[in-house]
Amino acid sequence: MSKRGGTTPNRFLPPKESSLFKELLSLYETKQLKKGLKTADQILKKYPEHGETLCMKGLVLVHMGRREEGIELVRKGIRMDLASHIVWHVFGLIQKGEKKYEEALKSYTQALRFDKENMNLLRDVAQLQTQLRLYDGLVETRYMLLRLRPTARQNWIALAVAYHLSGNLAEAKKVLVEYEKTLKNVPHYDVEHSEMLLYHVRVLEELEQHSEALALLDVSAKDRAIVDKTAIMEVRARLLSKLESDEAEHAWKVLIEHNPECYDYYKGYLSNQGLNIDENPAEALAILREFSTQFPKANVPRRLSLSLASGEEFQALAEPYVLSALKKGIPSLFVDVKSLYTDPAKLKSFEDIAESIHKDTSPDTSVASSSVSTEPTTYLWSLYFLAQHYSYLSQYAKALELLDLALAHTPTLPELYTCRARTLKRAGDFHGASRAMEDARLLDGQDRFLNTKSAKYRMRAGLIDEASALLGLFTKKDAPSPGADLEEMQSLFYLLEEGDAHRRAGRLNLALKKYAAVQRVFDDYEDDQYDFHGYSLRKFTVNIYLNVLDWEDHLRSHPSYIKAALAASRIYVDIFDDPKLASGHVDGDATDAEKKAKKKAKKAQKEKEDAAKKAAAPATSTNEDKGLDVPYKDDDPDGMKLLSAPEPLELAWKLLQPLTTLAQDNIEVLIAIYDVAIRRRKYLQAARALARARALDSEYPDLHVRIVHARHFVSVLPEPMPPPVGPIFIETLGKILSEDVSLETYNSQFLQNHSTSAQAIFAAAQTSRVLGAPLQEVEDLIFTTLRDEVRLDVKTALEISSFLKKIKSPRVNELHQALDAKFTLSTAFKTPDELAKLREWVLTTSSNSSSERTGNGAAPMENEAELGKETGESV
Amino acid sequence: MQGISLPSRSSDETLILLKAGNLVNLPENYLMKFWMYHIMTWPQLSFVAENDKGHIVGYVLAKMYDEEESEEKGGDIHGHVNSISVLRSYRRLGLAKRLMMLSQDAMYSVYKAKYVSLHVRKSNLAAIGLYRDTLGFEVAEVEKKYYGDGEDAYVMKLVLKNQS
Repeated sequence: MSKRGGTTPNRFLPPKESSLFKELLSLYETKQLKKGLKTADQILKKYPEHGETLCMKGLVLVHMGRREEGIELVRKGIRMDLASHIVWHVFGLIQKGEKKYEEALKSYTQALRFDKENMNLLRDVAQLQTQLRLYDGLVETRYMLLRLRPTARQNWIALAVAYHLSGNLAEAKKVLVEYEKTLKNVPHYDVEHSEMLLYHVRVLEELEQHSEALALLDVSAKDRAIVDKTAIMEVRARLLSKLESDEAEHAWKVLIEHNPECYDYYKGYLSNQGLNIDENPAEALAILREFSTQFPKANVPRRLSLSLASGEEFQALAEPYVLSALKKGIPSLFVDVKSLYTDPAKLKSFEDIAESIHKDTSPDTSVASSSVSTEPTTYLWSLYFLAQHYSYLSQYAKALELLDLALAHTPTLPELYTCRARTLKRAGDFHGASRAMEDARLLDGQDRFLNTKSAKYRMRAGLIDEASALLGLFTKKDAPSPGADLEEMQSLFYLLEEGDAHRRAGRLNLALKKYAAVQRVFDDYEDDQYDFHGYSLRKFTVNIYLNVLDWEDHLRSHPSYIKAALAASRIYVDIFDDPKLASGHVDGDATDAEKKAKKKAKKAQKEKEDAAKKAAAPATSTNEDKGLDVPYKDDDPDGMKLLSAPEPLELAWKLLQPLTTLAQDNIEVLIAIYDVAIRRRKYLQAARALARARALDSEYPDLHVRIVHARHFVSVLPEPMPPPVGPIFIETLGKILSEDVSLETYNSQFLQNHSTSAQAIFAAAQTSRVLGAPLQEVEDLIFTTLRDEVRLDVKTALEISSFLKKIKSPRVNELHQALDAKFTLSTAFKTPDELAKLREWVLTTSSNSSSERTGNGAAPMENEAELGKETGESV
Repeated sequence: MQGISLPSRSSDETLILLKAGNLVNLPENYLMKFWMYHIMTWPQLSFVAENDKGHIVGYVLAKMYDEEESEEKGGDIHGHVNSISVLRSYRRLGLAKRLMMLSQDAMYSVYKAKYVSLHVRKSNLAAIGLYRDTLGFEVAEVEKKYYGDGEDAYVMKLVLKNQS
């Protein structure tokens, strides 16, 4: 912005003010805000309508935290001088700070009209275009930058990357070749140059010019121009395999030697030998055996062999595998082999092996077996393994019995308590589980893993405040609350767990609040990449940068985002169906806690506001740069605005929309999309979601309910759906379920086909409800899930219970009594009185306890500042 | 189906690292941008361990100090381990050691680092044991009240030479 443009009359300044203006620009660039403000005022005293000065003053004010005042000046400044590139540049900066990238790009484009070759403008435009994935425009901008300054190395790379992103690999290659011709005397061991060459190799590989890629890699490696040894080895092995070269086998071996714990390398080696793990297990096993001998300490070849082997061979491999892990006391043995349990024979093998080791090492065994060590720790770890094994197989009583034995042997091993906690949780005893996890935590108060687990289990038991107290042992002491700190640190686990805990307690407002916070974390992740569109090119770390762009494009396929989106959209749909939910009145059980939470939230908000006021007051006297980003302001501390938003379905759709492309294979997502779409009258979207879900799993219980819902929905419409949408909708439905079949018949058939599945019975009951069956009939059907021959678990039972509440059935207590009798270990269906007692009991400490850790606090994060420094805006 | 492993660099390992930002047992939480900054500045230095579901069970996050930045510390270019962690349930597999060695190797071979440094809580005996006894680090100095709660840190250092 330092260059002055044309000379329209209202932009004219006499020499004194003109030089003041130049000073203002340089004061801004060095962020000397106070002096800048003074200088601007000096000019404005004589020329109060000078547009560029008004804008610069506004910009300075925004940096000082006086946002509204500043923006008003900027707007005024623009009006005064519409043909100035400076005013539009300033406006663009402000919009970018508000994350309005599209609007910012428009302002920048306007600015460029008046100053076509301004490098600063062009660089910002390129970053905006990348953020918005406008790659054709990006190529033009990068081309312009290179033309203006071909001596800057990064401009070449930036153009190649732009071509690459726009899908034109051939041009990307050409640019790189041209660039390399311009280079003279590149020093050895130049990491930036090395990264650039690796990028060049990648472009060639993606163009499938494998021999050229290999040649460039080899010559650069030999010249020590590429210094990243691991990258050289990996790319080389891959290229040689693609070229079907004889050298490939050796290259993969070298990699395995370099890191024998890398599964990918073994996979690469085997597939290079033409072996497919599923098709040629015998040959693959022979090779893995050799590697196991060569690298006796490496776990991967031994573990991979367990996946491939079967029958006696498996038994022969599994025995030493299990024994050596139990002897060493490796706590992860069970999670390590669990994925093999899909094969029932292997499951049985593991059970037999562990049982036999357990027997041989047991202190009760008078004659120790000669083949097995009688170390007492082996005995302990075999008990731990078996407890996990039986817990996994839902044999909870047996698992707990084994854990009692283990705890009698060694009462100080936290793993035994965590296993106990998990087992009780699976059995539905959320209170006992929480207490067991707290026992584990008390054994090692310095361990954040145990701390987090215990907090999580408390939330599962409905003890949110008590969970927060635990989390607070590791969060920043000066944060308004442990939750506030965890939210600021983008802790998705915390936000989801607490959101779910509020949801289960019926505090939908606070649940929505947490789910919205998850959404905001992902928005921040998306914004985070912005600075790197410039930074990574300056650093030449192009390969990782391209990977990160791709990661950003798939960001919201993250399980945490999906969980939050599903949970929130279900609440919004419920609110749409029953707007009374939005009045904030929640059903009975936890009003005290709710009041408390509300009070707390209010207090926290007030503290925040006070702090903000305090911070705002001395703004004029400080030079502190608050940046251009709009700080997050929480104007809905208790989530009531979310709960009573006038268009809940639109909020739900906003959450689900990114998932329409990112999670197409997730049946739960498709069902949620249907639920929202049919209510928003987006019938084609609804039909598509159903068809796709059916292709994934036609018998999925929740889908069954929706298929009937859709047909029923059409049949009760007062007027038929208008064409073209109506006929297509009906045709799609017809393909899913023939129109000749009555819905009642369809439902009873579904029930018959899945008569022992509680989820299917539940779905059939919901379906009857959709079809208008009397309450009693629905209830009777629901109660059949209690029959002995039906497979019912605690999770489904809880869903069934909330459904009965939702349809205002008078038989909820009756169901709870029956469920409480059925799930003897579970506390999920206790009466409110019993639950209150249980909650007290959870918090009483058990006999064992050790030193309590008090606090930790985060380590310094100096690197953040470094990044900011290098990517700071300049005008 | 493969169990626990240290994935290759050219797979999307460094992106998996971004997922690690939400590991539940981190001794400290870091913002996502902090992770991004490290892997996009020194992509060669950070590594992860994952289980068969592709979940991160351990990682090492590291950076470099060049001659200029380390002037007051003797002027040698050196690596620094910001953070290393292995999930409690995946310990005793030697993952921390392997992660450290991979990172140290890259510091030496890519950046010609003379040594690697790290901070550790004075009370964290298990970690000190790993660094000193298994990896050969030595305590170089004590930084008083380095941590937010007032605890002192040991600065530990290991001179790097060719490991392979």
